[in-house]
Amino acid sequence: MSNWLQCSRRCFWNRTNYGTRALSSFDKIPRAPPDKILGLTEQFSKDKNAKKVNLTVGVYKDNQGLVTTFPTVAKAQKILDQDENMNSDLSYLPIIGSPAYRKSTLNFLFRDSCPESGPKLLEQERVSFVQTLSGTGALVVAADLLAQFVSRTVWIPNLSWPNHTNIFKRHGFNDVRQYSYYENGKLTVDKWIDNLKKNVKKNDGSRHCIILHACCHNPTGVDPTVEQWRKILDAVRELEMIPIIDMAYQGLVSGNPAKDAYVLRMCLDESRYGNWPHGLFLCQSFAKNMGLYGERVGSLSVVVPPNQPESKGNVESQLKQIVRSMYSSPPAYGCRVATLVLSSDDFKRDWYKDVESMVQRLLNVRQGMYDRLGWEGLINFEQQHGMFFYTGLKPHALNRLRDEYSIYMTMDGRLSLSGVNDHNIDYVCDAFKAILD
Amino acid sequence: MSQAILNNVEKLPADALFDIKQRFSKDPREVKVDLGIGAYRDENGKPWVLPSVRSAEKLVQEDPSYNHEYLGINGLPTLTSNAAKIILGEDSPALAEDRVISVQSLSGTGALHIAAKFISKFLPNRTLYLSNPTWANHHAIFQTQGVKTAIYSYWDSKTKSLDLEGYLQSIKNAPNGSIFVLHACAHNPTGLDPNQEQWNQILDAIAAKDHIAIFDSAYQGFASGDLNRDAFAVRLGIQKLSKVCPIFICQSFAKNIGLYGERVGCFHLVLPQQNDASANLVSIKTAVSSQLSKMIRSEVSNSPAYGAKVAAKILSTPHLTEQWHKDMITMSSRINKMRASLRDKLVSLKTPGTWDHIVGQCGMFSYTGLSPDMVERLESQHAVYLVSSGRISIAGLNDGNVDHVAKAIDEVVRNQAASSKF
Repeated sequence: MSNWLQCSRRCFWNRTNYGTRALSSFDKIPRAPPDKILGLTEQFSKDKNAKKVNLTVGVYKDNQGLVTTFPTVAKAQKILDQDENMNSDLSYLPIIGSPAYRKSTLNFLFRDSCPESGPKLLEQERVSFVQTLSGTGALVVAADLLAQFVSRTVWIPNLSWPNHTNIFKRHGFNDVRQYSYYENGKLTVDKWIDNLKKNVKKNDGSRHCIILHACCHNPTGVDPTVEQWRKILDAVRELEMIPIIDMAYQGLVSGNPAKDAYVLRMCLDESRYGNWPHGLFLCQSFAKNMGLYGERVGSLSVVVPPNQPESKGNVESQLKQIVRSMYSSPPAYGCRVATLVLSSDDFKRDWYKDVESMVQRLLNVRQGMYDRLGWEGLINFEQQHGMFFYTGLKPHALNRLRDEYSIYMTMDGRLSLSGVNDHNIDYVCDAFKAILD
Repeated sequence: MSQAILNNVEKLPADALFDIKQRFSKDPREVKVDLGIGAYRDENGKPWVLPSVRSAEKLVQEDPSYNHEYLGINGLPTLTSNAAKIILGEDSPALAEDRVISVQSLSGTGALHIAAKFISKFLPNRTLYLSNPTWANHHAIFQTQGVKTAIYSYWDSKTKSLDLEGYLQSIKNAPNGSIFVLHACAHNPTGLDPNQEQWNQILDAIAAKDHIAIFDSAYQGFASGDLNRDAFAVRLGIQKLSKVCPIFICQSFAKNIGLYGERVGCFHLVLPQQNDASANLVSIKTAVSSQLSKMIRSEVSNSPAYGAKVAAKILSTPHLTEQWHKDMITMSSRINKMRASLRDKLVSLKTPGTWDHIVGQCGMFSYTGLSPDMVERLESQHAVYLVSSGRISIAGLNDGNVDHVAKAIDEVVRNQAASSKF
């Protein structure tokens, strides 16, 4: 016992004198692998090639290759800056977030986006809500709550955003499984359903969560069709799984944010699914559809089962506790901006126009690349959605693109379409052709 | 079926502080005073945006390259590097020797949370000691990460002063290699700090036991108006523990820059000097830093940008830095004036008890020694709101309400004295 205790001054840092197993010393800390996407960004910024193109990170860039603020967001910022009442108090927000933001966001998600089923849920007080640090923050708080009370098993699609696994493993989930999603350029919906049916038993006392990408699947950009979703959700409901809907790209399918919440609408269709006996979790972000990335604006909504008048408050009190010990209260600036954008019909209409023009540009890029490369997937508009296109290029090809052409993509072959513009589209497509020859 | 799965979720009591704010705003009485929450208010009782912040916001927003792109996982480098200089000092040997890892955090809580995660992963099975009393959230931050907490003696309620004997004894009694959370200045909630001589004794005792120190620095510059003076304990700690242990610093810019709701802070990890020539500081630093990145990625992905840009602008623009120093003096001198005013009024009212400790304490708070019963009566009879521990936020006082507060305290103290006679 005293061995490891006495050890600390002399050998705390020193592997050679490392005492016992109980002491986990700093120099035994292995180097964690760098984040794949942001690591490439660093390498990109050091690249001296004037023609370099960054197709890695999921931030929208305009046709000039610039990250700009949406006109509506810029307008909201200006109003905020000039309004004494709104900008003279930088005090803490409440733990679970700004009440005004809560109201506007709930309205947007459960009235605008789900006009048939949503309003009733709000009236029945069946939605617990917390403002979060964008989508990541929502997933983290959801994971903490679930792991504490409901489930420590989660199914994540293969492929998925790499941080999904990282988040759930580090927030109490000891059983992180994969369902088949995509193989050789195609969705594997039957295999997906099969994976679930073989391995999830609704009556064995275990409860399984499942991550569903609401739209614009990350990284493949390929979504199930509505018919496929119906089959999938039937199975998920039948197995009494707990849906965790990750809605990071609402609006990037059609240009209309409300319209793109179709998976949420389908889940909340009472005539088909009744209710979700173990709750439904909606993790939502304004990072991409308002361009508020770094300001960290999002939310977690937990739809609780009916006839449990206390559940909403109970869940919210636990969410509060989780937030309080993690960061006390969420950041205010971005949420003020978002609240203003959501505050009036006029504002919202203008915002929808911004989203639409972003999506239109992405569609133009798809078309332009298709014209040059003939890759059918680029114009499969029924299933190929959003900011990303999955090329299926293998690492050696990606390395060549980077080393010979200074074109940067993530090693899974994901291409961020917004990095392509009128000025570099020929260069990019020529490079693809050259390495594929 | 288990419709009832979420029924088991227990409802928790509301957070005491945030709850006070709610009751206060609903209170219809005309004269009411909020002495609960720890945010600065100006002489009119209004939130105060620092002039340096106003100017910085303008510069940030007018910068043609201003956008909302993600910050890096470890935060805004202009913020983290300047923040390290603020707390450690420009000429810090730890900085010169490249022993410091700095990452952005969601203010002080976020930094403490990173510390808690880090400890739970890499320094398990060590008990973490918190002062008695301490900030209400400290225990929860560490316990939720599975870190075992204990308390060390701090406040002597009889003398309303530091229990140095007990403090040193706690350090001595803790198993070697324990972790001690130290309030860098303006101890929360008591407002009572060790003096310089006492800090020497405390840090020597910590070094002798191979303990590991975490400094929670939430009030640097806010306490005295002087950044260097308020960093005394941290810098002495860096010096005394330089060969002993790593030091964690949890730094908040909520109070001193007034960026409360923007959640701006940093977590610094100061590595100790290595006696063994074979220990490779660079690779230890790289490894620790990579682990912090991975951890942050799974908590928040990346930290909020706006407040960080504002703070970084202030810290990296000389004329704004200068203005900020003036702003801190404005805040700390008003607070000190209010301390004196409250003490003087209680003395002239001949309120039973001694009140000099109000002036002896520093920072946002004063630990008045009022009992929970008195606190309750202050709220019900006088619309004066404070937490049940008797802690008052001096920032809530101003020339317009200090009379009311003094009379209210006088009344509840006398009321208690009278009722206890029967």
